[in-house]
Amino acid sequence: MTDSDPIAPAGDLPAPPGRDAPLQRLDPRMVRVWQASSAVTTLVFGGLVAAVVLLAGLSPWWILPLPLLGLLATALWPPRRYRHWGYRVGEVDVRVMRGALWRTVSVVLHSRIQHVDTRQGPIARMFGLASVVVFTAGHVGAVVEIPGLAQADAEALRDRLAALSGTDDAV
Amino acid sequence: MPSETRAEALLEAGGKRLHPLTLLFAALGVARQFLFPVVVGGISATFGDWGEGFVLALLVLAAGSLLAAAARYGAFRYRLAGEELVLRTGFVSRQHRVIPLTRVQNVEVRQNLLHRIFGVAELRVETAGGGAEPEASFSVLAEREAQGLRTEVLARRRAATIPAAVPEESEAAAEAPPLVQLSTRDVVLAGATANEVGVIAALAGGAFQFLDDVQLPWLERAFEAVAGGVSVRGAGLALAVLGVLAVVLFVGWIVSIAGALLRYHGFTLHREGGELRKRYGMLTLHEASVPLRRVQALRVEESLLRRPLGLAALMIETAGGGAWQGEQGGAEAFVPLARRAEVGPLVRGIFADVDYDAVRFSPVDPKSLQRAAVRNSVVLLLATSAGWIFLALAGRWPLLLGMLLLPLLAYGLARWEYANRGYALLPGYVVTRSGIMNRVTWIVPDLKLQTLQVRQSPLQRRHGLASLVVDTASGGAQSVVIDLARPRALALMDELTGRMLAA
Repeated sequence: MTDSDPIAPAGDLPAPPGRDAPLQRLDPRMVRVWQASSAVTTLVFGGLVAAVVLLAGLSPWWILPLPLLGLLATALWPPRRYRHWGYRVGEVDVRVMRGALWRTVSVVLHSRIQHVDTRQGPIARMFGLASVVVFTAGHVGAVVEIPGLAQADAEALRDRLAALSGTDDAV
Repeated sequence: MPSETRAEALLEAGGKRLHPLTLLFAALGVARQFLFPVVVGGISATFGDWGEGFVLALLVLAAGSLLAAAARYGAFRYRLAGEELVLRTGFVSRQHRVIPLTRVQNVEVRQNLLHRIFGVAELRVETAGGGAEPEASFSVLAEREAQGLRTEVLARRRAATIPAAVPEESEAAAEAPPLVQLSTRDVVLAGATANEVGVIAALAGGAFQFLDDVQLPWLERAFEAVAGGVSVRGAGLALAVLGVLAVVLFVGWIVSIAGALLRYHGFTLHREGGELRKRYGMLTLHEASVPLRRVQALRVEESLLRRPLGLAALMIETAGGGAWQGEQGGAEAFVPLARRAEVGPLVRGIFADVDYDAVRFSPVDPKSLQRAAVRNSVVLLLATSAGWIFLALAGRWPLLLGMLLLPLLAYGLARWEYANRGYALLPGYVVTRSGIMNRVTWIVPDLKLQTLQVRQSPLQRRHGLASLVVDTASGGAQSVVIDLARPRALALMDELTGRMLAA
């Protein structure tokens, strides 16, 4: 199965789905953030399994499979995930593409934005990254997140979107 | 100033804190949470060693919760700046939230008895955004501050909102005949057809009664032929179990009819001025009204049972909860029952420029048929696998040929599903339809579209298909066009984006 990069190598961006302007990638450090959080999860669950295995008096070999699987996922999945993330803040809308397995492209008109948050988990903070989260009055696609922005950029984008959000929210 | 944000700057300059009594109420909350377990632990501590450790652990946890609450109180800042409400919440991961006042739907001051004693209050500010929690919750503020903030938010919101030109209809229209008026017979019919299970049970119950009376020996022989080693007694037991099940379901059906009578008795829907008003109920009377311009979408539901009877239900979708979504969170039929011929006029009574009966649906991509047929085959095979294994174990090999029927059945279902899927773009409205068991038709005004989303599952990707989610602020369900060719889905998304801008 060929799985071509939907946003393509840096610099030369092909037409994204939908409108003609190119999508922007997330900050490359986001791969490290995802890997770090995946590693933490692996560590926690690996520790739990180890504890159970040792307490139950099983062969210590049983400890290995889960952390190995976790490590493999940590190494391989975040880069793939990264390739499928893209966003564009246009004159009238925000477009976000995400997902390597289940793929979605979302469009939010500026005029439909209810409010805008910035968010920062502990790991993202260590890397100086933050997310912008856009809320609309909708139900399914009501919350659209753009992760992996440099903190200052995230804050600038949040303020810009908050200012752009119109008065007619159509509710 | 690196990373010094506008929001943070605003809060630094004049951000306010919650009332210090917040700490007391947080402590009371923690106490309430831990009191019962601690008491139970304490009692058991007098009888054994475990209880003591348990109480100790609980106390440590409670102390942790208290510290967290104190930290949250310490971090919380708010400020009403211009036309925005700026908040900082969170202690581990800090959140800044900017709420434009024009977006505020509801501001509520809550005060329980304890609040009143201490002269404080809780303030909740809600926008139409999703989620059960309000967008801003101030717990607690001094009573005067809560009232003042509420007044100020509402005043500034009014000032900031461009007065919407709502065409007010003359009062003479108030006494117009109702859009819907259900007779007792209609309500009984609504209850009787509310769900498939009851009717199937009634039919099955009747059938069992019939079998019991008639005593068909050939049926028992057939059972024996299929079951092989299983005795007739076993078959009889199975019949008895099914019979009891049927009785239970039948009683459920009667209860459903009675429930509909209690709930929907005397149902009327009026259009009065710019509002829709509904009244219904036998013991508890319900009366609610909603401005027409707040209607987000209409949903026509035709269940498997109601379709042959020419019946449907109509949901009137409004934003974010309230009386109009019903007590069961959007699940309550707004117009519990309408005859097929009445749906068109009813829709026109709410969306004046939609001719429901003239809508021509465009089909989704034909590859959808293939995908559904394969999926149905797999599902049917898995669902009946126990039976096939049983037949194989019983050595009834010829009967295994019955498996060949599965793909045919699967294809038939897929065709049916495909025929029920479609979409239509009317001037100013999007119409989508899908569903086999319950065929749902959505009518969404361009004006009320919130977000658009093209989704692709891994299986859809293999066929180059995608689904378009047409999202509105209505709670609960969603309008989706399933299985369009991906380029078509994206083109449609762009077209609708353009229409949203133009609307």
